[in-house]
Amino acid sequence: MSKDRLEIPDYNSLFSEDRFVQQRENKRQFEAPCSEQETAEALAYSQSAEYLEKNFNRKAVVINPHKACQPLGSIMAALGFEKTLPFVHGSQGCNSYFRSHLSRHFKEPTPAVSSSMTEDAAVFGGMSNLIDGLENSIALYKPEMVALCTTCMAEVIGDDLSSFIGNARQKGVISEDFPVAFCNTPSFVGSHITGYDSMLKGILSYLYDRSGIQAAPGSGEETGEKLNVMLGFEPYTGNFAEIRKILNAFDTKYTFLGDHSGNYDSPATGEYEYYYGGTKLDDVPLAANALATLSLQKYTLKKTQDYIGGTWKQLIAAMSTPLGITGTDKLLDTISELTGLPVPASLTEERGRVVDALMDSHPYIHGKRVALVGDPDLLIGLIGFCLETGMEPVHIVCSNGDVDFNDVKFKEEAEALLASSPYGSEAAVYIGKDLWHMRSLLLNDPVDLAIGSSHLKFAAKDANVPLIRVGFPIFDRHHMHRYPVLGYQGALNLLSLIVNTVLDELDRNHSGFNFDLVR
Amino acid sequence: MDPVRKDEFDSEACGSLSPKSKPCPRPKPGEAAGGCSFDGAQITLLPIMDAAHLVHGPIACAGNSWESRGALSSGPSLSQYGFATDLNDSDIIFGGEKKLKESIDYIAGRFAPPAIFVYSTCVTALIGEDMDAVCKEAGERLHIPVIPVNSPGFVGSKNLGNRLAGDALLQYVIGTGEPEPGTPLGVNLIGEYNIAGEMWDIEKLMNSAGIAVTSRITGDARYKEITWAHRAKVNMVVCSRALLGLAKEMESRYGIPYFEGSFYGAKETTYSLRQMAYLMNDREMERRVDRLTEREESRLAMDLRPYRKLLKGKKAVLYTGGVKSWSVISALKELGVQVVGVGTNKSTEDDVRRIADRVGDDTEYIPEGGASRILKTVRERKADIMIAGGRNMYVAMKEQIPFIDINQERHKAYAGYEGLLRLAKELTYSLANPIWKLASSPAPWDKEAPPYDR
Repeated sequence: MSKDRLEIPDYNSLFSEDRFVQQRENKRQFEAPCSEQETAEALAYSQSAEYLEKNFNRKAVVINPHKACQPLGSIMAALGFEKTLPFVHGSQGCNSYFRSHLSRHFKEPTPAVSSSMTEDAAVFGGMSNLIDGLENSIALYKPEMVALCTTCMAEVIGDDLSSFIGNARQKGVISEDFPVAFCNTPSFVGSHITGYDSMLKGILSYLYDRSGIQAAPGSGEETGEKLNVMLGFEPYTGNFAEIRKILNAFDTKYTFLGDHSGNYDSPATGEYEYYYGGTKLDDVPLAANALATLSLQKYTLKKTQDYIGGTWKQLIAAMSTPLGITGTDKLLDTISELTGLPVPASLTEERGRVVDALMDSHPYIHGKRVALVGDPDLLIGLIGFCLETGMEPVHIVCSNGDVDFNDVKFKEEAEALLASSPYGSEAAVYIGKDLWHMRSLLLNDPVDLAIGSSHLKFAAKDANVPLIRVGFPIFDRHHMHRYPVLGYQGALNLLSLIVNTVLDELDRNHSGFNFDLVR
Repeated sequence: MDPVRKDEFDSEACGSLSPKSKPCPRPKPGEAAGGCSFDGAQITLLPIMDAAHLVHGPIACAGNSWESRGALSSGPSLSQYGFATDLNDSDIIFGGEKKLKESIDYIAGRFAPPAIFVYSTCVTALIGEDMDAVCKEAGERLHIPVIPVNSPGFVGSKNLGNRLAGDALLQYVIGTGEPEPGTPLGVNLIGEYNIAGEMWDIEKLMNSAGIAVTSRITGDARYKEITWAHRAKVNMVVCSRALLGLAKEMESRYGIPYFEGSFYGAKETTYSLRQMAYLMNDREMERRVDRLTEREESRLAMDLRPYRKLLKGKKAVLYTGGVKSWSVISALKELGVQVVGVGTNKSTEDDVRRIADRVGDDTEYIPEGGASRILKTVRERKADIMIAGGRNMYVAMKEQIPFIDINQERHKAYAGYEGLLRLAKELTYSLANPIWKLASSPAPWDKEAPPYDR
């Protein structure tokens, strides 16, 4: 008996035991359960075109949202700079959500503090909370810069960050020269990508203004600022490493504007520090002298791009996340054009190897119907990758796709891209929709694969479609963010994720005739 | 000296419901504090699994939080769905009540839930939405309970939110229904959220002693069973920090006796079961409990033997909140693990008293958070393992400290006798994993002596 008891099943197996199954049955009496027939009818209805239409006419409620709010993005932007403490001005719960959210994705700690506003702050304003918060957090976390953003609450009561920071300086809580960059990030506007953009622009403009340096594009080439590179709201630390590899292969000088890969991929040395890596604060004003800025999330980085083009008078090369062969080709072409350097042979060779891999796998992915969910720039990249491999994007949902770049809207670009290939002919792009809409689409018009964040797993399960986790957030799988998805190496990673999922499915669902050893 | 009056004493305690009661300790600006009242209210009520939970506010209060708790359901999954009114800037100027009404209507029409809980957020509270009126009107029209939960984030800590959720249950749910005739009545479990299925282990124990669970408040609950919670004979408060006030109020309103207890550790489990039977005033039941607990304890003692040998003398730092701050200490002590540091940030005064009863004088109390404070204790006390929640987990990893997740994201159930065995096993595994040895030894080329004889 006791020997048996040492075998402790986890809850997956434990609760399939008879006694728990029985218990569940007993509980159903409280649930006013529907009959099996009613359940089946409801399921069938949810797969009908009628419900699809009803669901898409839904105006009021959002069901299973697929976006986070501005301050979350702004924390990620702040962590891209050396020894910078993200500071959220508002009630404290927001900050704890952001920290959990980012930590669950990256499996790393997220240093970020809050001004913990309460009812009295709601009535009298949050100035004293902000000032106390600055004092306490600088003493506790010893940052070299604080990056301050707001929440809904601070925005609704109309707190003025600039004057509050001024008052904090006057009171001597922070010294005159201690840098505090800031931006407004109300959560009822935009999404996490808007917040990333606002904070990045906030930090760049703040550090540039206080330096007294005058932008002189091209003059910094000797001191190391030939190219500025921005990755934006980047859920993959591996993408930073891949871009670095590419730029180093070109042998060009460059500065990352915002690099949180240090903070979200730090080694376990036995001693936790609050800050790892990041763009050096002194490098920011010098970046104004670079030749050009390469922006790899054009929809995400709208305001920042405008700022760099306008104030720094710099050439901007903006594109969506360069996924797949075509996307990466465009990236290398652009770098070559901006720097005047030829594409290095090592990258051409790598391209050849990945093209070879795509050819090896193409029989298994050709014609696979795919549903996609994600942020706008990631989706442009993913659509491009699908089209070049012969996969057919069918349903594309972008909750925060109501964005434009140079007057071209995300939806227009996505549709034009889809129209450029026969494999895109069945696709429809939905912006401002949620994952309950996606569920309807998946049930009504089934696909072979779903690609998106962990949040898509519920809809994918209901529709019995395998989910390939790409994007943000990925909470339920480990280490996905460490592998790049951009560049040629990224194309190979995406390909192996997808083709091996397809092959796993083949093995799992085999009918007895196709359990092949060689594929 | 005047004796301290009872109500004054109560007002000091965080669980008190008296109007004069002081709010829970205010978070300090500039720290990485825990969740807000909205969060607290939601996590208390979300385990009502068949109800719909609608967040009235901008998208992210729901977008950042839906389906990220480990409270398991044995059946319905509606509570898993993230419903939000997603207010935008024009709603904030012109008001979002119309959107709220339409959202409630849609949910009622499409999902037919037994009840809808509607949560206010910072924004809807600030712009003065009359949520109560909208909910009342919708409830009457749709003939289902639509319950406003007024717990916007800025009113205070997560714990205050737990209590406000309790208030909503008292005001709108408890006492509104009656059990079917013949339903055996027994104990309400209050403040047990069925993380990783712990409730199921507890229920199994209670059932084998013949004790019926009347209502689960709220781990793996169904809406209907909470409506008749007032018919229970005994209330057991599992997380006192969260819902002690609810039990107190039920005592004064319905005359149901309550006690505070825990299921972490064999002794606490035995105590809790005995207390239930005692308050049920049923001698036969008491005898059954005695037989059950004796049998389970002696079995457990045998099963634990190999683990205790490995765990004896190990030192742990425990950083968690509420009931776990003291009850897990008991569990660890039974395994021979010494608690050298304990977080008191989220504990009531009663909790702290209970901590003091269970640890020695040389245990360090960690009053407030911040990774550095916890780490300092681990280092100074040479602790072998850190037991805390998910947000501190990755810090522990950086410091190469063995770690066990004890909070809401854990995937192991630690309650009851079987739970203690699982805890022992997890502790052993975490401590014994070869990665710690690998992590703490330098790379071969950094060692002073060459790794082999030349």
